[in-house]
Amino acid sequence: MRPEDLLTRAPSAEDVVRETQKLPQPSEEARESLRRSLEVASKPATPAPWPALLQEARGKMDSRYAEPATSHRGGLVGLALVVSKRAFRGVFQPFINEVLRKQVEFNESILDALATIHDVQREHVRTQALWRQELDHRLARIEAAASRGREAAPVPAETSTAKPGPTVDTASVKQTPGTSRGRSRRR
Amino acid sequence: MSADGRGSPIHQILPRLAWGDAVGNQVRYLQGLLRRWGHASDIFAETWDDACKDQVRPVRDYAREAGRDAVLVVHHSFESRLVPFIARAPGRKVLVYHNVTPARLFEGFERKVAAACDGARDELLALRPHVERAFAYSRFSAEELVAAGYRNVSVLPFAIDWKAFDTPPDPALHAELGDGCANVLFVGRAVPSKKVDDVLRVFTAYQKLYQPMSRLVVAGYLHRDGAYGAYLHGLKDVLGADRVRFLGRVSAAQLSACFATATTYLSMSRHEGFGVPLLEAMYRGVPVVAYGAAAVPETMGGAGLTTLSDDPAEVAELLAVMERNVALRGQVIAAQRARLASLSQDAVAEQVRAAFEDMLSGRSAPSASSEASAASVELVCPGFTVRPDAPASRLVRSLAEKLPGARILALRPRGAEPSLELGPENVGGVPVWHFTADQPPGRAPASLPGSSSLETAVRVSSAPVVLLGVDTEVARAVLPHVKERAWGAYESSLSGPSIEQARQQLGQRLVVLEPSRSADAVRALLGGVTRAT
Repeated sequence: MRPEDLLTRAPSAEDVVRETQKLPQPSEEARESLRRSLEVASKPATPAPWPALLQEARGKMDSRYAEPATSHRGGLVGLALVVSKRAFRGVFQPFINEVLRKQVEFNESILDALATIHDVQREHVRTQALWRQELDHRLARIEAAASRGREAAPVPAETSTAKPGPTVDTASVKQTPGTSRGRSRRR
Repeated sequence: MSADGRGSPIHQILPRLAWGDAVGNQVRYLQGLLRRWGHASDIFAETWDDACKDQVRPVRDYAREAGRDAVLVVHHSFESRLVPFIARAPGRKVLVYHNVTPARLFEGFERKVAAACDGARDELLALRPHVERAFAYSRFSAEELVAAGYRNVSVLPFAIDWKAFDTPPDPALHAELGDGCANVLFVGRAVPSKKVDDVLRVFTAYQKLYQPMSRLVVAGYLHRDGAYGAYLHGLKDVLGADRVRFLGRVSAAQLSACFATATTYLSMSRHEGFGVPLLEAMYRGVPVVAYGAAAVPETMGGAGLTTLSDDPAEVAELLAVMERNVALRGQVIAAQRARLASLSQDAVAEQVRAAFEDMLSGRSAPSASSEASAASVELVCPGFTVRPDAPASRLVRSLAEKLPGARILALRPRGAEPSLELGPENVGGVPVWHFTADQPPGRAPASLPGSSSLETAVRVSSAPVVLLGVDTEVARAVLPHVKERAWGAYESSLSGPSIEQARQQLGQRLVVLEPSRSADAVRALLGGVTRAT
């Protein structure tokens, strides 16, 4: 922290920074572990477009307005039918709007809910992937430490049933996110 | 203002009257003051919480009952679709702007809310012709109003009912949280703009580097089924922080318990129109560490510790020093108490009374009104002052020299205060209009933050726009609104979706800036802009 990064009158920014410099220095290992955690957990703010599987439904969400009037018949009959359809729509559109208003609101709500479920799923998948990467990294670290330990340790003279195994950093191995830990509280 | 009860009716309108939120509290407070001063005063809303049903009337009643002598106070903080109604409504109209969260802060999580925020900013511009005066609760918000061309803009003091914070703490929660852990507290809705994820990051750094016996308490509504809720829970597990409590919505007694057991209050919010919980923490004697975005530095008023860095390890140092250094902690708490003295209810009521008296008597607000820009060309270069040696800054300097009547729009430097007097300032011999960034500009190579006031100033101008750095947040926000009259430039070393998007919107009007051949970019931009003017 630098004084120019602080806005404070009392105590002064310089005093605060001086005190922060007196804090016990965390170990390099702790800093590195934190740096890695933060790096893994960093998420660029990417705009999420509407899910592709909902695009078609979204295009049809507003059911108040029909496609432009057409007729498969040709000639004057077809023309008369098209004009009649347009006239019907023109006259009754305000009533159609009112009848379908609730339906449109429902369509909008249900699409929003589906999009939210999609976003939550995407978030879970992303978190799981991050977690797997992080777990792989921790396991690799543990294996490396274990192999270093094996190389350094003298070969035992006699076979023992209680072989000293690799030291496992239990704090660094945690459960997959979303699963219950014994001590966690039900929310 | 008449003291004999015969004043003009002054009514208030807002889209939704909620119980306990900052906007609703201000509306109720103003109503109390206005009635005490002898004005008839009702609150009109489209929707309301059940708890408020006796305090509010439907919007349609206003048009039926209000006369031409009535004054309508319009509260604006979110998309309301009330603008056509307000335009038709009888009487004089006054805006109270609580600020609108920039849509970009919801990107990636809440697309519907992001769209509504954009809609609310459009409504802010649409309201301008209909109001004769505008108030904001911070200079940060007022600057945006001035940039939007509002007349008679002034700052209202924010009223807080301090007695409401004196609720006794909930004993069960108090006992649970008061177990000797160092509690870091954040109060507020867990929404992307509040950056609860950054609170988690800072807390993780604090716990891993300085205080393993610590706990994070987040008190405020969390939409667990939403994308941001899922993100927060996933992040908590990935970061590996222990003792993180998302309490959700809490009662007044539970909130008191949270504050009573808090070691430090931490806010990393990227947007606050004012920031009541910061003051509540000060009132309750909890040292505040807050990231200095939007109106947070104003709210803090030099008290507490406002950091311009969002680096988790650096902010964690502040939490650690507040916990360990009793003398420093005492100084911070004393300064916080002094800060609150200027916000006493009597002082605030007097200032509100003066502001409303000016409004009723037709006197102008002290701030200068801002007319629409008369610039021939708007040269938008957010980093001009904060990064003067960047290629875009050098390019805009050349353009300004060759385009008479052009103005440069840029971000204020870190730590500079917002101002209601927007006008040219001399920067290295070039006149520059400065605007407050929504967040403190970071050091290069960090990308520059957006600025709601700068973006608004560009939108309300009718002059051709040159965006120097189409990859910046400012350019991304304004481009959809000004693409027909805009040119853009980007550094050749850059690529990505923002450049691609700009290329789609600008086509041939997008120019590549090669640092070694900047004269070519100047020539290309000058040619295009000169033809347009």
